[in-house]
Amino acid sequence: METHELISAVQALEPAAVPREKVDRAAVVAPVERFLELMARLRDEPDLRFDMLCTHTAIDWIAEARLELVYCLYSTVHRHYLVVSASVPREAAVMPSMQALWPIAEWQEREVYDLFGVRYTGHPDLRRILLDDDWQGFPLRKDYRDDFMLEGPK
Amino acid sequence: MSAIVTTLEQRIGRGATTQEFFVNMGPQHPSTHGVLRLVLKLEGETVKDVIPVLGYVHRGVEKMGEHLSYRQFVHLTDRLDYLSALANNWAVAKAVEKAAGIETNERIETIRTLVAELQRIASHQLWWGVFGMDLGAFTPFLYGFRDRERITDILEETIGARLTMNYIQPGGVMFDLHPDFQRKVKEFIAYFRPKLEEYETLLSRNIIAQERMRGVGVLEAAQAVALGATGPVLRASGVAHDLRKSEPYGVYGKVEFDVPVGARGDCWDRYWVRIEEIRQSLRIIEQLIENIPEGKHLLVKPAVRTKVPEGITYSQVETARGVFGVLLVSDGKDVPYRIHVRTPNFNNLWAITRIAPGWRVADLVTMISSLDIVVPDIDR
Amino acid sequence: MGLITEKLPALVEPVPGGSVLLSSLDAVINWARSNSLWPLTFGTSCCAIEVMMAAGAARHDLARFGAEVTRPSPRQADLLVVAGTIVRKMAPRLKLLYEQMAEPRYVIATGSCAISGGPFIYNNYSTVRGADEIIPVDVYVPGCPPRPEAFFYGILMLQKLIREGESLRTPGVRRKPVLAALPAGITIEQIQQELRELLEPQGGRR
Repeated sequence: METHELISAVQALEPAAVPREKVDRAAVVAPVERFLELMARLRDEPDLRFDMLCTHTAIDWIAEARLELVYCLYSTVHRHYLVVSASVPREAAVMPSMQALWPIAEWQEREVYDLFGVRYTGHPDLRRILLDDDWQGFPLRKDYRDDFMLEGPK
Repeated sequence: MSAIVTTLEQRIGRGATTQEFFVNMGPQHPSTHGVLRLVLKLEGETVKDVIPVLGYVHRGVEKMGEHLSYRQFVHLTDRLDYLSALANNWAVAKAVEKAAGIETNERIETIRTLVAELQRIASHQLWWGVFGMDLGAFTPFLYGFRDRERITDILEETIGARLTMNYIQPGGVMFDLHPDFQRKVKEFIAYFRPKLEEYETLLSRNIIAQERMRGVGVLEAAQAVALGATGPVLRASGVAHDLRKSEPYGVYGKVEFDVPVGARGDCWDRYWVRIEEIRQSLRIIEQLIENIPEGKHLLVKPAVRTKVPEGITYSQVETARGVFGVLLVSDGKDVPYRIHVRTPNFNNLWAITRIAPGWRVADLVTMISSLDIVVPDIDR
Repeated sequence: MGLITEKLPALVEPVPGGSVLLSSLDAVINWARSNSLWPLTFGTSCCAIEVMMAAGAARHDLARFGAEVTRPSPRQADLLVVAGTIVRKMAPRLKLLYEQMAEPRYVIATGSCAISGGPFIYNNYSTVRGADEIIPVDVYVPGCPPRPEAFFYGILMLQKLIREGESLRTPGVRRKPVLAALPAGITIEQIQQELRELLEPQGGRR
């Protein structure tokens, strides 16, 4: 499907979804409230069939005090991509887990929790994945500081 | 005077059962290919559950990327999946070129394709050797490395490095091809084709190796897709997803090659797919090596700090292990606002939690090896 | 077997029916030790491919230096080759591995990550800046990653170090670590000076 077709297909499923500007492929921003339902339908609709969660990560927009959670979906059936994103507040970052839809989300979400501190509801095993369990802070947040890090030479 | 003959079972006691217990495999273990740690739940020698524990070589590459220019970030991708360094470089170059609108020419794309395919062969040779070693045969290791050194020599002549290349950069490649490149690659192909037959005789047709691979660790297609597995792991399960075919980059659109696909998704299929991929890579190189187009090899100034317009770009390439993607978030400066790398091994690794339960520990080693894991690529 | 790079320091006296070899026990033990190093298989990242695998494989053949018997258990090994980046999560494990090895034990740090943190020094929350922050290191082999030949040079340096040491009576005593990179007589200042001359045009700034 072409980019505009994909976006209108998503908007047919979720009227509140808006296209995300300045992305090199089809991208939408969806509200957090009905996110899980939307993702479930994106996976199961016969025209869309996004059966692979390519990658999931977060972007820390510190100036706007929000974390943008990015899901990159791919369909091995129709061979099209879709980037779905949602914004959660930095201080209370809570998101429904996609683990029931794509099993790989279990570990991708653990990584986002580990590095950004997003808490996923309905996640079976939310632990740190890359860092030690007793690590303080979330290193990929823009305001992360610790005694160990060195500033680069200017 | 009748002696009562007992059995071992009677001596132990008929109702004796084994207990479930946990064993740590790694982080320092010769079969985990680096510092991967697997917590195994065992009953006797049977694996009940596998819990991978990551992060023993988590180097925080994504955080560093927020402080480095795009050209400087390229060399960090070398050190993720160091066996596919050139493909990783290419992913960053592709993302920056797409985002900043940098054009390349035919020569650059041909060189990139050639060196990436050479390294794919080298990577599969190394995997083949190590796979043999994990099965308990030392000879494949020596054979694999013997032939890999030839490719390393060819690449070193042009690039100047054996492993961490830092060669493909946004807007071109670092150095032009060495004058001997074409001749040596042709020599290599002539040398290696019969050697590949030797590989088959030595390991593929070995009945012990076959018995240890066939039917072991079956990953079904639906599982593989849901786990986001890519590369030979996905293709062995029967899904013909290869970026070189489905969305051609470089000059892959102009060459003929097949995508080998497995039938069952067991260790044997993963083995066979990789061996077949070596053949296909040789085919690609043969088609390209005769006529490398003329032109410049670098269209930007070598150390330029490229400014990338605001927005998100996601670009991916097919490395020897699967899809390597770069998600580039720019706010208009010459340093990325955020850079995320989607590595093939991170997703492929979790297949082990699905395929290992029910098998013995010795088979687990075969399965890990058949997934062809590079640990720094998982941990980043 | 191994290629014996230096002869055993001994006096050979021909006597009727053969020869008598006179040497000190220290020299004999050190000579034997230096020619049969058993490395631990410990590779964390890229360096492992070069210094553990390529070095041990067909072309380069580590066996020529008597160090090909890689052991998966630290109890049976006496050489720890730190091949790759050490991160904060791995650091306690590295120390544990080192402490599990029996004396005398030797450490070679290969590659810039194990020497100083290499490319992962700045703006990094995770990478330890050099293996020597955790365990004592005997020989540093620079490179990113070092070629197998560079690693062999490091092994030869270590063998020399062992032969010069007094490891029979005081096996745990550490000598000053060495850098297996530059031939004797060349200092880092000289290299910096050369680089400066190369990079800056004559009579340039400064």
